[in-house]
Amino acid sequence: MADPTSERTRPLSPNVQIYRPQLTSVLSIANRITGVVLSGCAVVLVVWLIAAATGPHAYAAVQGAIASWIGQIVLFGATFAFFMHLCGGIRHLVWDTVRGFELRSIYISGWAVVALSVMFTAAVWAVSLCMAGWNR
Amino acid sequence: MIIRSSDQVPRVTALKRFPVPRNFGVSPESRIEKGKTWSAPSGAARAKSFEIYRYDPDSGDNPRLDTFEVDLDDCGPMVLDALFWIKNKVDSTLTFRRSCREGICGSCAMNMDGTNWLACTRFISDLGMPATIYPLANMRVIKDLVPDLTHVFAQYAMIEPWLQSKTPDPDAERLQSREQRSRLDGYYECILCFCCTSGCPSHWWNGDRFLGPAVLLQAWRWLAESRDDATGDRLDILEDPFRLYRCHTILNCTRTCPKGLNPGKAIAEIKKQMIERQS
Amino acid sequence: MNRKRPRSPLGRALGLGSAKDGIQQWWLERVTALALVPLTIWFAASLVAHIGSDYVIFIAWLRTPIVTILMVLLLTALFYHTALGLQVVIEDYVHSGMKIPTLIGIRFGCFALAVAGIFATLRVAFGG
Repeated sequence: MADPTSERTRPLSPNVQIYRPQLTSVLSIANRITGVVLSGCAVVLVVWLIAAATGPHAYAAVQGAIASWIGQIVLFGATFAFFMHLCGGIRHLVWDTVRGFELRSIYISGWAVVALSVMFTAAVWAVSLCMAGWNR
Repeated sequence: MIIRSSDQVPRVTALKRFPVPRNFGVSPESRIEKGKTWSAPSGAARAKSFEIYRYDPDSGDNPRLDTFEVDLDDCGPMVLDALFWIKNKVDSTLTFRRSCREGICGSCAMNMDGTNWLACTRFISDLGMPATIYPLANMRVIKDLVPDLTHVFAQYAMIEPWLQSKTPDPDAERLQSREQRSRLDGYYECILCFCCTSGCPSHWWNGDRFLGPAVLLQAWRWLAESRDDATGDRLDILEDPFRLYRCHTILNCTRTCPKGLNPGKAIAEIKKQMIERQS
Repeated sequence: MNRKRPRSPLGRALGLGSAKDGIQQWWLERVTALALVPLTIWFAASLVAHIGSDYVIFIAWLRTPIVTILMVLLLTALFYHTALGLQVVIEDYVHSGMKIPTLIGIRFGCFALAVAGIFATLRVAFGG
């Protein structure tokens, strides 16, 4: 596009290439990435429900895929993504009420999101593995 | 908020920058090339390296990254002092904006070690080795550390940042109670240095349409103004998926404001007022 | 936004003017998020509780009225929220001519998936 104003030819100063990653921006992009990951999980949820509606064989096939080691790794990632997006989402809902904007609060709630996501993921998997052990 | 340090909250950062290639997604004219190194004067006991973004519009060359070794024993404590030291003693062509040297004019806003701040209120000792100095992020560069602020000031003009009264002028001053005046605290202090807008990823990707934190903070300053009658018109200007709602509360703005202000909170106030007027 | 003719800086900032919109999208993203907090926690807890359950037990659970209702609500809120969230992501990063087709695709996809999920749930609930 030919723009006669000289501004077009001026270089753009670097942005993402040089800007320091901070808890604010890192958690924001994490919330976005986990959201996109969970969109994929939502597709799996529908496939799983359709399999259940189709019959025992289809359901067993989907359950088998989830039980495979790849399925388990994906499920573990999905669990973490879920808790990260859940905690991050609640943090956003609080902000939307114009609360928690002091820089100190932003950092405290940010680290809380990280810690709680890790703890919830660990707790859910610990419980799940125990239950799988009992049922076996 | 009183700023006690030029870095408001402690850093726990393993990464100095996001793991993307140096010239990732950069247009040809913006690619940064390797520059010159200017060694410290002989006999300098304490030398510190500064990697500084250089761009000379007259040369036709691309921007480059020059390294200057500054003698700290011969230089003041602030980054602006180091820039003056270089300009006076090493390379007089180094170009940067500055005026008040005490954090009230907003001229010397730039990106130091990856975050935006005022060079005059940032200690050299807070910067790493080497210190990296770029112009404000995501701005068209006029020369060296001087960004072109035409667009962001045009965005500022768009929100009509002046008192708009729909009542006849009073004979005396327009009075304001202490409480009404206090609603402007934390917003009127903005010096329009654009550290926040330049640090906002949403403004990086959609700066042509998203107004950015500095302008939105100013918009709230006029929405919060008890003497102003144009609240509805002002909200009309802002009610747009890009102008206002590109803000995703990333809060790099609040993190970087060298005046300790809170653009993120101001934007949340605007969004809340938007909801209030329709429900 | 890519006007071929030069404009003044203010003209460029003004662009096509205010769309007087965006608030609904923002608001519904919040409302669906609020609904998803209890719904997703309920769903995750139910999944954990059903570890090791076979097909018969799972189907029996899904056929309880309260579960069917909650599952339909979950799917509705989930895909509404997903569509709004993905729309924002696309609007942020895609500036080419692919933007509008992608936005349409996201809407179609999310609506189709929601319908499919709800239909499957009801099929289990009312099926023979």
